[in-house]
Amino acid sequence: MASPIGRTYTSPPPVPTAPYGLDELDPSGPLFPDMRYDGSDFRAAPAPVYVDGEMISEASPVDAETHGYGLDDFLTLAAQNNPTIRQARLQISAQTAKALQAGLYPNPTLNYIGEQIGVDVEGDKDSPGEFQGMTMSQRFVTAGKLKLSREKYMRRAHVSEHLAMAQQFRVCNDVRIHFFKALAAREIVGLRKELLKTAEDGAVTARELYNQGQATRPDVRKSSIALQRARLDVLTAENHSREAFRRLVAITGVDLSEGVVSGDLMPQGEPISYQEAMSLVLTESPELAAARAKLAADRVTVRREQVEWVPDIVAEGGAGYNFDAKETVAAAGVSIQLPVFDRNQGTIRQAQLDYRRQQEEIRRTELMLGQQMANVYQQYLTALQIATEYDRVIIPEAELAYQELLESYKANRVDWPTVLDAQMEYFDSRLTRVQHLEQARTNEVLVRGYLLHGGLMAAPGPTPPGHIDAVAKPR
Amino acid sequence: MTSPEDRRKFLKVGSIAAATGFVGNLLGRNANAQEPMKHSDMRHQDNMPQPIGNPASRPEIPESVEVAAEYDGFSRFKPSRGLDPDSDYYIGKLVPGFRKASDGPAPFEAPDIPVLPYKMEGGVKVFELVSMAVQQEFHPGVKMNVYGYNGSMPGPTIEVTQGDRVRIVVTNELPEDTFVHWHGFELPVQYDGAATLTQNPIKPGKTKVFEFDIHEEGTFFYHSHVAMQEAFGQVGWFIVHPKKVFGPPVDRDFGLLFQNFHIPPTHTISDSWAMDWNWHTINGKSGPYTTPLVCKHGERVRVRLLNFAPMQHHPIHLHGHTFWVTGHEGARIPKSAWVPRNNELVGVAQASSFEFIANNPGDWIFHCHMIHHMMNHMVKQVGPRIRDDASVDQYLANLSSRPQVDASLGDKFATPGYPQKMLGMEMSDDFMKAIWSRKEVRGMRANYPMSVKGLMTVLRVLPDDLYELVMNSDQPVEKGAVFAEIVRRFGDPSAYEPAPKMMM
Repeated sequence: MASPIGRTYTSPPPVPTAPYGLDELDPSGPLFPDMRYDGSDFRAAPAPVYVDGEMISEASPVDAETHGYGLDDFLTLAAQNNPTIRQARLQISAQTAKALQAGLYPNPTLNYIGEQIGVDVEGDKDSPGEFQGMTMSQRFVTAGKLKLSREKYMRRAHVSEHLAMAQQFRVCNDVRIHFFKALAAREIVGLRKELLKTAEDGAVTARELYNQGQATRPDVRKSSIALQRARLDVLTAENHSREAFRRLVAITGVDLSEGVVSGDLMPQGEPISYQEAMSLVLTESPELAAARAKLAADRVTVRREQVEWVPDIVAEGGAGYNFDAKETVAAAGVSIQLPVFDRNQGTIRQAQLDYRRQQEEIRRTELMLGQQMANVYQQYLTALQIATEYDRVIIPEAELAYQELLESYKANRVDWPTVLDAQMEYFDSRLTRVQHLEQARTNEVLVRGYLLHGGLMAAPGPTPPGHIDAVAKPR
Repeated sequence: MTSPEDRRKFLKVGSIAAATGFVGNLLGRNANAQEPMKHSDMRHQDNMPQPIGNPASRPEIPESVEVAAEYDGFSRFKPSRGLDPDSDYYIGKLVPGFRKASDGPAPFEAPDIPVLPYKMEGGVKVFELVSMAVQQEFHPGVKMNVYGYNGSMPGPTIEVTQGDRVRIVVTNELPEDTFVHWHGFELPVQYDGAATLTQNPIKPGKTKVFEFDIHEEGTFFYHSHVAMQEAFGQVGWFIVHPKKVFGPPVDRDFGLLFQNFHIPPTHTISDSWAMDWNWHTINGKSGPYTTPLVCKHGERVRVRLLNFAPMQHHPIHLHGHTFWVTGHEGARIPKSAWVPRNNELVGVAQASSFEFIANNPGDWIFHCHMIHHMMNHMVKQVGPRIRDDASVDQYLANLSSRPQVDASLGDKFATPGYPQKMLGMEMSDDFMKAIWSRKEVRGMRANYPMSVKGLMTVLRVLPDDLYELVMNSDQPVEKGAVFAEIVRRFGDPSAYEPAPKMMM
């Protein structure tokens, strides 16, 4: 049986209904809003509202009512509430406490001594003993061991201070990055909605062309596909925008209700050169400062271990009663460990090697920062170059092309599908600009912020693996 | 009253038109003319403008000429055929104009194209022609970049008489080589202008002299013999009047030169490589900026029509009259072979001469009948133009955010094919001002620019007094007034419909 298509008039294919969630998520959004397509005709979307011949802006009323948060708001909130910043500060206190402990002088020891209990002495078969008495013993720490131990842990506290600074940068950088991501996501939602309006127009235009024999049913179906894709793009953009906002809120450490970010994506200052960026990170990076401080602590560790073999003197003295001589006597003793076999030579060697290791750690950190900078700077530069040229040339050109085609359409010199193409190109260019500005801003934060990010990772302590913390008393 | 200036002054003074009408009536030579409405029947219609001109005037024949109002059943003053197809006067075939043959040929008149002046040097007519890039205003304010001659596109008209010797000094001001071909002339081969076959190119800045005797008569033209320069507009009339004026003498000898261009939207440079053509010009103007041909009621009119489109033939249709095809570009056709027509197909690089008696007063459209040539450029009629409550201005007001489209196509879309009529065409105030600033259009219906598009112009057949009013007086004429007056005198005033004045 022959296909009816092309033999009698067949109405154009229906406009697809909106995907799940579009109405719920964005009641103010464009989408043939109350359309219920029944296979025969369109339902009308609200016509534009005019007052005194001017169209009323279609800005979403939801946006206008919601509180807009700026970057400084989020930075303040994060500084006060992000747990890792507090963790990092606690680590400093922990190290100073350790330093206090390490420098404490050893306590004296009180001994009771009863010697030769039951020995027979003249006149007394079972005497209480030859000597019954009390002695005090005291270890005299030599070679400044306690002072060195305290200095060592104080220096570790200093390392912790640098690490706390790094953590602060991690948090602030993350706030900035997620702020710009949220800002970009919000702008992208707006542009996706513009592109959706264009796709809607494309769907209407295809049906207009169909009615004049200038488009086929497959052409109309294509316009439906484009429409549905544009709708999905809006949903994706809205979901992404919410994700970006929630991630931003998570960094701050507080529970914020839904809100909108407000700010400018365009970098304000001069772009930073690679040389500047590298010299900045090499001179000011808190990670590098921490590594250098750790080297100083390791130097003290070596000195501390070098004096460890110097024997402490343990002196003991006291008094008691000699039941043999039947008189009060005194007792005294001095002990000293003879460093015959163990002169702490292994630990000294280990500490020296740790010191060497830390020297390499500094170098490693420098190189790692250099490597990261190479990557991040490249992304920063590329995105900035692209965004700048979109801003300077491509978007103005696209806008002028769109405008000239609109004027040509008005003068009956060009048809509407050509205008729609130019409109789509213009909105799409603005979308690309925002995407690259997002890249430029997030990478700029890293370039200027010593490449630190990860504001919800636990704040690291001052000691990497391989350190001597095996004794109960820190030394 | 030898010049229009004198006539204008005369008209300003007073009622000369009435006087001549009176004289005409006394002579009684218009007995068979179309009867005007009786004055008593002309009760002023509420929707008709006030009478203008001399409502009492009747078609008449100037006393100085020996012509009749009617020949063998054919009237020069009202639509008629005559009584015998074999008669010399059938459809006005040999009905003479008012002009006497002894006065020589009627002056050739191609609206909007200048005439190339010449000077006599030792019995030779010397013309100077400069090949150059020019800017041509197709529409008011719409200046297109094309090539032409002496600052004009089409080039200025060369007008000579059979038997003249001409010298044409051609200077090339284009930045590239050019050739000029004298189309149709049987001249010595070295002056033919066929690129490199017969001559070397005229280099930029150089001059070449062409000199030859003209033994032909008829409608000729000159054009560049570089194909793309031809397509870019380099053509001009070369009219040779016969040494012995052909009968019957004509009163008007109009020239219409048709061209096509492809000029992309937003652009001004014609794409001469195009296979599609979206701008159509008559004498360098596109309708409604084409200048109407204005003649007097009862005159014998010749129209020479040259199709210089790059690749499209034009079926030319004149409303309200049947014309005789009396010649092509090759030569005048013997009278026995003349053909009466309403529509004549004029092929590329062909010229046809139409002759007819202007016996039907009114504004008659004269146009190429190709649908796509009856508009200036074809654009698909979709978008805001056909949508209710939408206009391009809304889009232009804010480029960064477009208005929401109204998806309700409306009941009209229940009709497959809707819309076929071009909707929402807009013409600016400046455009309309320029259209109406020409004397030839005075008194036409207010909406005339909406219908005259592309390869279209208008033949205006006016009674003497209205002709003088339109062409030679400074008197203000209301839009539609001349048309209404013709309806009042020759038509059915009770069925008169004024034009909506929105386009004024």
